[in-house]
Amino acid sequence: MRGHGDLRLVAALALLCAALGLLIPIPGVAAIFAVPLALLLPGYAIAAAAFAQRQLEWALFFVLGIALSLAVLILGALLLNYVGGIHPLSWAVLLVAITFVACLVAARRRGPTDRGPRWPRPRLGALGTILLLGGVVAAIAAIVLSASTVPSGDAIGYTQLWILPQAGTKGHEAQVGVRSQQQASLDYDLRIKIGEDEVVKRSFRLAPGETHVVHVRAPAGSEGVLPVIATLLRHNRPTSVYRRVKGSLVAPGEPR
Amino acid sequence: MARPKPTTGYVAPIALTAGLGLLACSVANALARGGSDPTLLYWAGILVISLPIFWRLTSREASTGERLALVCLLGLSLYIVKVVRDAPLFTFSDELVHAFNADQITNHHHLFRYNPILPVTPNYPGLEGATSALMGLTGMSSYAAGVIVVGAARLSLVIGLFLLFVRVSGSARTAGLAAAIYTGNFNFLFWGAQFSYESLALPLFVVLLMTVAERDAAPREWGRDWALPLVLGIAAIVVTHHLTSYAVAVFLALLAVVYWALRREWSWPNPWRYAVLAAVLAVGWLVLVANSTFGYLGPVIGEAFEAIFNTASGEAPPRGLFQGKGPSVPETPLAARGIALLAVALLAVGVFFGLRRFWRRYRKEPFAIIFAVASIAFFGTLVLRLAPAAWETGNRLSEYLFVGLAFIAAISGLHEWRPLQRAWLGRAAFTAALGVILVGGAIAGWPWDLQLSAPIRAKAEGRTISSPPLALAEWAAHNIPEEQRFGAGIADARMLMTPGEHIALAGKTPDIEDILKETELSDWELPLLREEGIRYIVADRREVASDATRGYAFTMRGDEPELLPLSTVTKFGSLPGAKRIYSSGDISVYKLGAPR
Repeated sequence: MRGHGDLRLVAALALLCAALGLLIPIPGVAAIFAVPLALLLPGYAIAAAAFAQRQLEWALFFVLGIALSLAVLILGALLLNYVGGIHPLSWAVLLVAITFVACLVAARRRGPTDRGPRWPRPRLGALGTILLLGGVVAAIAAIVLSASTVPSGDAIGYTQLWILPQAGTKGHEAQVGVRSQQQASLDYDLRIKIGEDEVVKRSFRLAPGETHVVHVRAPAGSEGVLPVIATLLRHNRPTSVYRRVKGSLVAPGEPR
Repeated sequence: MARPKPTTGYVAPIALTAGLGLLACSVANALARGGSDPTLLYWAGILVISLPIFWRLTSREASTGERLALVCLLGLSLYIVKVVRDAPLFTFSDELVHAFNADQITNHHHLFRYNPILPVTPNYPGLEGATSALMGLTGMSSYAAGVIVVGAARLSLVIGLFLLFVRVSGSARTAGLAAAIYTGNFNFLFWGAQFSYESLALPLFVVLLMTVAERDAAPREWGRDWALPLVLGIAAIVVTHHLTSYAVAVFLALLAVVYWALRREWSWPNPWRYAVLAAVLAVGWLVLVANSTFGYLGPVIGEAFEAIFNTASGEAPPRGLFQGKGPSVPETPLAARGIALLAVALLAVGVFFGLRRFWRRYRKEPFAIIFAVASIAFFGTLVLRLAPAAWETGNRLSEYLFVGLAFIAAISGLHEWRPLQRAWLGRAAFTAALGVILVGGAIAGWPWDLQLSAPIRAKAEGRTISSPPLALAEWAAHNIPEEQRFGAGIADARMLMTPGEHIALAGKTPDIEDILKETELSDWELPLLREEGIRYIVADRREVASDATRGYAFTMRGDEPELLPLSTVTKFGSLPGAKRIYSSGDISVYKLGAPR
């Protein structure tokens, strides 16, 4: 590929982007490298190979670069599906391989002359750069704001109550969970009845978004499968059932 | 084609206004999530983004490069308007379906996994396959990767449109205006920007048209050079979206016929070989891989025809324009309806004058002929909006037909109008008309009450709380094993799939909808639930839970939802072994007893 600066750059970038994309554990940072690898470089290389003997306009070359990269991803997934499965490493290998091969074909077809696209070099000036950066900053601020949660005083809050068997206990233990999705901190009373007896009473306060989990097991000496009823009351309305769920517990020594 | 020059012109200041417009839209959405009504701020933001671009595109002075940059700025800014509506979650009904597919591919390393809501979608895995590449390489969520993939597709769409229109019209000014008009298509702002297979396939379709147009203009000895991009493009579209693959085959076939009609020969540059390739690949994929498409598209098209017949014969009343599906859906305000209708009227004027110029100047151009036919057909699809089951078909067709309409309206020459001998007045009027077309298209294509986001998450005492369907999905993701299946209303089911990461069945096939809505259980229901392997049933009293576009948000004070009878929930307690294991008020989850 001697003499083909753009192709050497594309091939080197593909390798670098694949390595860094895979190695960097922070998704947002890895994306800086993975996005060009996935959405530009393979398409650029294929367009360079297809039009090696022509001088395409840069805009045409650019859009073909993106569109052909998308086509490579679409058809590449199909290929990987039948050849080893769709894994991060197989994606990296495939994209680098396609980029390399296409760059080699482009270099061979071009011959000694360099027919890469001539990219424009726009001149903005200081004021233009400041204005452009201002636009970018405003757009980033818009996206950051959109991803932020804001207070919504009119949204009607509520509370979740659930009962589930505790994993790995073969039904001998259960967890009763309460999660507040209320607008303000609230006091709760939780009553858990196992079999005929009310064995657990808890009073607690939950802030919005907080969870309280109670673990229960069948009382010693009990037999068979015991029904469990968890009842949640709000502290300020002690006589009114707010939530109720039902589960069961397998007594100790009983097979599930 | 004029070589794009590196003159930046007014790109920088217009980029600043676009950024500020986006910020206004984002603030409007944040206020809407907080319970305010910032509708005017939102539309002002859209106009702050678009009007400076439209104004500059009408000028004579802008270079080709500047016009291209402005078109890119317009396309990407309007895409970000959709992104800032509901980041960082997908909330459009199809997005949750496709995000589930992408997660399945990433988690299980293979395509064609089962999708319970739209079983046809895994058979067209182009979008999710491409998204899985970014997810795998970076560890990003399907949301982040999907937004980037659709953003790249959007960029290629607007560049492809611009270059296509430059090639066919021979004028960068006309091309810029045509691309600007295209943003007024009903689905540009929201539907076409969502994480859905058509959002990737349509841009590839446009780039393919551009490639065919470039090939047409190139010397014959370049013929082979275009083959690889064209074949890859056609194959990628076939794997990505059923309707677009048929649109490609039909368009290329029409183009081949028009070439033959004009030149009486099938040789270069007649694209008949590519038409045959597209048809063979599309049919081959349909028969060999995606034969469930018959069952998916058949009823949609059949019902559309039936609705047209019934409406035309007077057997059924026509559908009211701007009408939502239920009584709880708010009406579109009169002023907004007026803008949408004015937009259509302006397009009709543009097409009228455009067709006259087409006849004088472009009637020997194959692409222009098809564009002219498409521009007329677009107004035919508007009639479909009057038939209840056909309006969606018409709405979807408009994205494709609008390519032709945008071109014909742009060659109308109306931007050259000089009222009172003042060119700037004509430009101002044309800019305003483009603004009306953009805003009117957005109103016509997306429900008025959904233009701004609704609160799905909210801040309370410095912490984050989630809406009932989202909280249910988060609970399921953390507490219920992945292989366990749910039956739920269509909004809850979508959330249970993404971000809940579970298979959730909903709707009519199988008939979960009736099981959920009836006040008593019938004999067939428990066997059906068992047959489908459903272990958990989500009973949601909110009527809005059966609305796939509105059922995800918090209930707002003063806007309490209509509720189903309590017995629609409690009836599940009578099933043998069934227990209510989860309750959040309106939503309950019953765990069904194990089959004996």
